[in-house]
Amino acid sequence: MKKHAITLTVNGEERDLIVPSNRTLLDALRDDLGFTDTKYGCGTGECGACTVLVDGTTSINGCLTLAATMDGRSITTAAGLARDGDLHPVQQAFIDNDAIQCGFCTPGMVLKTISILDENPNPSEAEIRQGLEGSICRCTGYTKIVEAVQDASNRLSGLGE
Amino acid sequence: MGDLKVVGKRVERVDVRAKVTGGALYAADVQLAGMLYGKIIRCYDYAHARVTSLDLSDAAECKGVIKVLGPKDVTQREYNASVLDMMVSADMRGVLGDIDDQSIFTDHLKHYGDAIAAVIATSEAAAERAAEKIRVTYEELPVYLTAEASKQPDALQFRPEKPGNRAFELPEMAFPGNVYAWGEVEESFSEADFIVEDTFYVSKQKQCQMEPGSYIALYDDQQRLNCWTSTQMPKLVQKKLANLFELPMTRVRINATVIGGGFGARLGMVLEPETCALAMAVPGRPVKLLSPREEDWLTSPSRHPGKYWMKMGFKKDGTPVACDAKFENYKGAYYVDASGTAFTTGAWLGGMYKFDSLRYRGESYYTNQSICGAFRGYGNPQTNFVMEQLVDRGCTQLGIDPIEWRKKWHKTVGDDGWCMGVPYNSCALDECLDRAAEAIGWTEKRAKYQNQTGVKRRGIGVAVMNHTSGAMPMLLEHTVCDVLLHQDATATINLACSDMGQGSHTTLRQVAAEVLDFDYDDVHIATGNTDAAGFDIGAHASRTLYVGGGAVKQACEDVRRQLFDRAALELEEDAANLYMEDKIIHVKGASNKSISVQTLADQGVNNFMNPENGELIGQPGQIQGYASFFPPHNAPPFGATIAEVEVDMETGEVKVLELVNAHDVGKAIHPGVVEGQLDGGAQQGLGMALTEETYFDEKGICLNNSFTDYKMFGPSDMPKMTNILVENPDPTGPFGAKGVGEAGIVPPVGATANAIFNAIGVQILEAPITPEKILKALEEKANVS
Ligand code: FES
Ligand code: FES
Repeated sequence: MKKHAITLTVNGEERDLIVPSNRTLLDALRDDLGFTDTKYGCGTGECGACTVLVDGTTSINGCLTLAATMDGRSITTAAGLARDGDLHPVQQAFIDNDAIQCGFCTPGMVLKTISILDENPNPSEAEIRQGLEGSICRCTGYTKIVEAVQDASNRLSGLGE
Repeated sequence: MGDLKVVGKRVERVDVRAKVTGGALYAADVQLAGMLYGKIIRCYDYAHARVTSLDLSDAAECKGVIKVLGPKDVTQREYNASVLDMMVSADMRGVLGDIDDQSIFTDHLKHYGDAIAAVIATSEAAAERAAEKIRVTYEELPVYLTAEASKQPDALQFRPEKPGNRAFELPEMAFPGNVYAWGEVEESFSEADFIVEDTFYVSKQKQCQMEPGSYIALYDDQQRLNCWTSTQMPKLVQKKLANLFELPMTRVRINATVIGGGFGARLGMVLEPETCALAMAVPGRPVKLLSPREEDWLTSPSRHPGKYWMKMGFKKDGTPVACDAKFENYKGAYYVDASGTAFTTGAWLGGMYKFDSLRYRGESYYTNQSICGAFRGYGNPQTNFVMEQLVDRGCTQLGIDPIEWRKKWHKTVGDDGWCMGVPYNSCALDECLDRAAEAIGWTEKRAKYQNQTGVKRRGIGVAVMNHTSGAMPMLLEHTVCDVLLHQDATATINLACSDMGQGSHTTLRQVAAEVLDFDYDDVHIATGNTDAAGFDIGAHASRTLYVGGGAVKQACEDVRRQLFDRAALELEEDAANLYMEDKIIHVKGASNKSISVQTLADQGVNNFMNPENGELIGQPGQIQGYASFFPPHNAPPFGATIAEVEVDMETGEVKVLELVNAHDVGKAIHPGVVEGQLDGGAQQGLGMALTEETYFDEKGICLNNSFTDYKMFGPSDMPKMTNILVENPDPTGPFGAKGVGEAGIVPPVGATANAIFNAIGVQILEAPITPEKILKALEEKANVS
């Protein structure tokens, strides 16, 4: 199979790697680069556990994206959100609203939330729920996740004031 | 209970920082030097077949392949992946008839995805490429997907010990007449003014925990078998693997990794035996086995589906005189815990209402479906779907309000619980019903939704449940806990209880801090290593807080007692005359006489002799607390759900508008944790009622073992949700707490079904209640009238 030499900037650090054409971004992140905070839940684009951000705020499913197509792009995973030990406001909102149980969906949910709030800083509850479609959580019934997103929206707009 | 400092507070959970940054290590995230990868070859052509030839030679030649293993290359011992056989006495095991009927690999394939062989290679990709080179030929065998099919006299027998393919029925020795019963059912029915009766179907729901099965095993240089797994039951899996591979327990170590959801799917073993068998074949090399979602679906147990018949008799005034029921479940290909659910399904039925007489029969039949086992609620959601619909049918015919009927006839303190002879010692179900009714506006809505005519019709329904906190006295309940008091007056609590994500390590730490009178931050819960931790059954049956918490409480009380004894010596006072506040032990009524826990702890570790008089300074010996705890009861929680739905009479679509869940939780050690259990349980309960089912075609090929085709409630499907925590302390629970891990899934099932009945006037007898089934039922009703 054809191999590609690519460069990814992951959480601000530049990484060179060689990937076969069919290598997914998820596998490249987890297995080649050790970013195991990006999770495999289904491999078919249904669950959102593999969500990462591209070039800041666009969320994509790592399991549906070929690594080779991401050459030169910047990728953010959950491990790259905290700054000097301070959690990102979205992460803090997930903790404060008890929105984390088993935590397997959490990295993807947090990243998805960042992209939802980037598009729409003050979403309604229905818009939040719509935005979270495609991100499965089997533990929380989504109640506290929705509350966390609302809280994060308040915190972020507070910051922007 | 005085002022509680930590218990009852919404403290930050112990694990959320690691989880929110992605630092938490689940089994798939663990990477070891020299790691090899396993791939299991499964049969996806047939659900029932015999392997007539197996050729591994081409696969063995593939690049990167280290070893290829067929059925003869691994241990020939059979096993039972479940652990129920370890929770009962040897005598009881014989009575129940639990058997070992699983093999690592087999040439008699009994379900879609059964295992034939495996490849070990240097990478996942190499293992997968080699797996494709394995050549198998099969002899196709007849496929039995239901109990009705597999019990036919000419059906091929799954196991010689289980004639008629009946894996289990309630054994005569423990249940005379093979029934769980009280009273004289036939006689009682003769006193009934009217009877309701029907046969229902309950579905094969899947846990769908977000983390698919991932395992690592290493047979190391000390000839120890190490296994990394996110099992719910580290200590029982340790013993199971020791038995299977004929090793002493000292040579088996489970490294319990962070669990990405359990809900019963990881009760006992899943692919630990296969992974360990691969590792034993390549000593010194770690082997990783990662189940794709589709494989995890077929290899971990589901809920037990099956036919559930029930009959109830009432007097005109509503008095419930008799209940008769039979659940024949479609067990799947292997025995696993055929005995457990077949019993408990009836136990939850028996624990609910004051029928004069009750009789329940539970039977498990082998089928060519993937295995069934534990799933949150363990038979209770099935019973809720059937029992609660029949009660509402009765109430409708009697013209009695369903909440009033339930308040009048549910069992309560002093009545036998799910286990006869173990009476309830607390019950706040009336308060649950009253508060839920008030919160949703039951009376007004119930009146308003009579005689609707439009396309969209609303309905409101109620259901109640009883459950348990641990499985005592049917099953062993035991947790060992050690508390190590450090010289800086902080404490490490060492035990084997796992946290499936529900928050049990957090609540256990709260219990410890409260008993020790320490800050939450001064206590650490250490788990995950079966070398160090004493016995624990594992996370199941809503037991971890109730039993594990009981153990933690007792072990911390042991520490306190030792501190007080030492303080008594130092202060030359009677221990009974001392009290502790902010880590200082004082003499009652003498404010100047005190000693700090810090001093006592430090002197215990750093103990020196006074060089002047040769006497020891303080009391030597590091303080450790210990408990080997067997709970005195099972503190059943109760709960009620009221659901409101809107049904489209033209499309059959059901929209769930609101759920109010009111639960008697004893004491909420951490309200956020409890709410989380009710929220998450409700999502699964709604799924069981309305959307979730694993489908097979007539050849037994599974049609939806993936998130693509298995429909769960998503964020926008979820209704408005209100949780009401009724705190009525149980006399036996730690700080009055009861288990709530499973309760949340149960009553949403019956309440949703009853709300649909209220909206459309017909009952749907098969779960899940899909739009097609609603339209069909409406059509049948129209034809009749
Ligand atoms: S793993 Fe990518 S969406 Fe599920
Ligand atoms: S917290 Fe477990 S899947 Fe979301």
